Amino acid sequence: MTPRKSGLKKLLLLSLSAVLFLAKFVVDVIVSKLDIEVGFLSILQVLLVAGAFITLYLYIERVWRAGDQNVVKKMGFALILTLVVGVAGLILYTISTTGFEIKNEAALPEGFESIVFANLYAVVFGTTALFVLLTIRDIIMSKRRKETKRNFRIFLVVFLASIAVTLPYRPFESNIIVTLAFTLVIFAILLNSFRLSWIVYLTKREKLIAMTFSFILFGMYVPIYVASVGETSLIAQSLTYYSRQLETFIAGTTLFAATYFGMTFVSTLFHLPTAEAFDRKNIEVLSLHNLGKLITRVFDFHELTDLVTRMTLEVCEAASAWLEVREGEEATSIARARTGGNAGAATVRTVALQNINIQDIEAITGHDGGAIRRVVRESRKAVVIDQVAADDRTKHVKTVAGKINSMAIVPLVSHDEVIGILYATKTMEFGFDGEDADVLSAFADQVTIALENSRLIEKSLERERLMREMLLAQEMQRKLLPQELPSIEEVQIEALSTPAFEVGGDYYDFTMLDDEHLGVIVGDVSGKGVSAALFMAEMKGIFLSLSRLHRSPSEFLAEAHSALLGTMDRRTFISLIYAIVNVRTGVMKVARAGHCPMIFLSGNGTRFVKPTGLGVGMGSREFFSRTITEDEISLSYGDVAVFYTDGVTEARPENGEEFGYAKLEGIVAESGSGSALDIRDQIVLAVDTHMGHKAPDDDLTIVVLKWLKRQSHPSVNLHHH
Amino acid sequence: MSTFKIEHRENNAINVLDLKGYLDAHTAPELEKTFQSLIDTNRFRIIVNCRDLTYISSAGLGVFMAYIEDVRRNQGDIKLSNMSPKVFNVFDLLGFPLLYEITPDEADAVKKFQETGKPPKAGK
Repeated sequence: MTPRKSGLKKLLLLSLSAVLFLAKFVVDVIVSKLDIEVGFLSILQVLLVAGAFITLYLYIERVWRAGDQNVVKKMGFALILTLVVGVAGLILYTISTTGFEIKNEAALPEGFESIVFANLYAVVFGTTALFVLLTIRDIIMSKRRKETKRNFRIFLVVFLASIAVTLPYRPFESNIIVTLAFTLVIFAILLNSFRLSWIVYLTKREKLIAMTFSFILFGMYVPIYVASVGETSLIAQSLTYYSRQLETFIAGTTLFAATYFGMTFVSTLFHLPTAEAFDRKNIEVLSLHNLGKLITRVFDFHELTDLVTRMTLEVCEAASAWLEVREGEEATSIARARTGGNAGAATVRTVALQNINIQDIEAITGHDGGAIRRVVRESRKAVVIDQVAADDRTKHVKTVAGKINSMAIVPLVSHDEVIGILYATKTMEFGFDGEDADVLSAFADQVTIALENSRLIEKSLERERLMREMLLAQEMQRKLLPQELPSIEEVQIEALSTPAFEVGGDYYDFTMLDDEHLGVIVGDVSGKGVSAALFMAEMKGIFLSLSRLHRSPSEFLAEAHSALLGTMDRRTFISLIYAIVNVRTGVMKVARAGHCPMIFLSGNGTRFVKPTGLGVGMGSREFFSRTITEDEISLSYGDVAVFYTDGVTEARPENGEEFGYAKLEGIVAESGSGSALDIRDQIVLAVDTHMGHKAPDDDLTIVVLKWLKRQSHPSVNLHHH
Repeated sequence: MSTFKIEHRENNAINVLDLKGYLDAHTAPELEKTFQSLIDTNRFRIIVNCRDLTYISSAGLGVFMAYIEDVRRNQGDIKLSNMSPKVFNVFDLLGFPLLYEITPDEADAVKKFQETGKPPKAGK
C-alpha cells in the first residue's frame, strides 16, 4: 500500500467513526422525543456504537504503530491520557446539572443536556478505554512468552463475550449470566496481570519511574472503576444510558487497568532492592560485550591496554586499576643466548594504569619480591584481598594507606602460562565480592585473547617489515653481481647465481685487470642468509680494490685473506677460486682457497683442477699464503672451464643422493661442444631435474668460460657496468 | 627429528667424540656445546671419530675452526678419524688436511697423541 493510500484510508476511518458517533447522538435525541420504545431504534443504537468504536479501533491500530516504544514511556502515555480525561470528566461532572431518571431498569435523560453529556462521556471515556486497553496489551506483549499471547486472547474472548451477553437485557437489568460472564472477565484479568516479567529488565531508574506511574495509575483507576459501575453514579448512569455494552467495556477495561497497574506497583516495589544489582550485572555484561567487540578493533597494544584498565574500573566499579605484562619470551631468549645467562629472567612491565601512579604500583607489587604476583601465578585464579592492611600478602601496602583497602588480582592465563596480571583496587574494605572475582576472571579471559591478538598482529607487521627489508637487500645484492657479461672476442662467459633464501653468500665476478688479463672469481661464504650476504658484499669490495694490483691469483687470495682476517669470526670462512686468463697468450692461472675444484674440459677430456689452499679466513697470514698454490693451464680453442659452488654438487632432494662431482663432470663432458650458455643451461637443468619439486637449500652459482681463440691477435672490449 | 648425535667416550685418556648423522647449520651448535664443555673441563686431547658422519656443511666445518686455537694453546689437539671418502672430500676441499691431522683410523690418532702431546702442525 502506498503511504498516500494508507493516509486516505486512515482519514476515511476517522471520519466514518465521527459520523457514526454523530448519528448515534441524533438517534439518541430522536428516541428521547418518542414516548414508546422502538426495538428497531435500539438495535440501530447498538450497531452505531459498535460501528463507531470498531472504526475508531481500526484507525488507532493504523496510527499507533509504536510497538518498539519502551514500557515506561507507554505507562507515561496512559498516565497523561488518564489524567487529562479524568480532569475533563470531573469538569463535565461539576458543570452538568441534569441527570437521569432510573425507571423500568432504564435510564431516562432529564433533558437535552443529559443526552449531550452522556454522548460526550461515552466518546471520551470509550476512546480512552480503548487506548488504555491497547497500552496494557503492548506492555504485556513486551518480553512475551509463548503463552502470553494466548492468555491475552482468552481475556479478549471472555471480555467480548461478557459484552455480548448483555445485549438481550435492559440497561440496568441484572442477570446471572451477565454477572457470571463478568466474573470470568475478572479471572481473565488476573490471569494476564501476572505478566510482569518486563519489570526485571528495567534499570533502577526506570523501575522507580514505573513504580511511581503505576501507583498513580492504580490510584486513578480504582475510583474510575467505582464511578463507572453501579446505578447511583452519574457517570455510570450516563454511560449505561448511552450503551450498556460500552459501559461494560469501560468498566472491564478500567478494572483491568486498576488490577494490572496495582500489580505492577507491588511488583516494582519488590524488585527495587535488587534493581541495583541487576543494573550492575547489566553493565558488566555490556562491558564484557564491549570488550569482545574491541578485540576485533583495537590492534595497537598501548591503546588496547589503556582501554582494558579503563574498562576494569567500569566492570567492578574499582577506584584504580593497572595492567602488567611479562615481556616477550623471544627477547629474553636472545638476551640469554648472548649473555649465557640463566633462563626465566622474563621481566614484568606495567603497561597501563588508571587513577594510580607508578610509585604506588611499585610500592604494592615491587615489595617483598612480588609476593602478590606469586600468589596469582601459583593459583592461576583471581585473588581478592578484602582487607589490604590486615592481609599477610599486602601488609606492606600501608604506605599507600587510605587509598587502597581492598584489591582484586587477576592473572591473564594463556596456554597455561601467566602472561600478565590485572589489578583493581577499591577504597573500602571488602569491596570485591565473589561475583566481582568471577566477572573479573571472565573479563581477564577476554583481555588475554585481545592481548595475544594484538601481539600476533604486531609480530606479523614486524615480519612484513623484515620481509620488505630482505627483498630490498636481495635487490641490492643482485646488483653486487656483474650486471653484464664481458664481451671479449676470445672468451665466452656465462654465469648464474641464485640464493636459497632472500640473500645468500655466493659470489662471482669478472673484470679486465688490464688490457690483457681477465679475472674470474667464484666464492662461497660459509653459512647462509644475512651474515653470509654481508661478507659477500665485503668480498666484492676487496675484489674491486685488490684484484687490479695482482697478476697472480695466489697473491690476490693471500691479500684477500689478510684483508678479511680481522673482520671474520673464527668459525666463518670464504672459499674462493680465482682464475686469471691472459687473453693474448691463452695462459690461465688458477688458485683455490678451499673452494670446489674447477672442471676443465679440453681435447683430452675433463679433469678437476684442484690446487691446494685453505679457505680464506683459516689459519694465520703466513700459514695461509704457504698453503696456496697455483696451477697454470694453456688454453686451446674450444676449451671450457667451469666454476661452481657446492650448491651444485651438494644439491640433494629429500632422502636422495647428492648431485655429486661425477655427474657434473659428465654433463660438462657431454655438453662441452656447445656454447658457454648451453653448458650452463645443461648444468642448471640437470640440477633442477635432480632436485625434483624440492626447493634448493643452498645458494647455487655456476660460471662457465669457453676459450674461443685460434692463433690471432686479441682484441678486447669489455662493457663496464 | 634429531638428525645429528654426539657421543663422548674416552680412549686411553683421550676424549673421543663419535659424530653421527648430519652436521649442518642447525646441528652445529650441538657440537660447539660439546667442544666448549670439554675445554671448560680442561680436556684438550680430542679425537673426532667421523665414522657415522654422513654429511657436513660449511657451518659444521666452522665449528672445528672455532675451537682449534684454544685447544692447541693448551697443548692439546683436535684430530679427526674414520671419515668416509665423501666427508673427507668436504674437509679436503677446504684444506683441512693442512691444518688438522686426519687419520684413517681412531687408533692411529690415539697413537699420534701418545707419541707427542704437542700439535704436529703450527696452525697459527
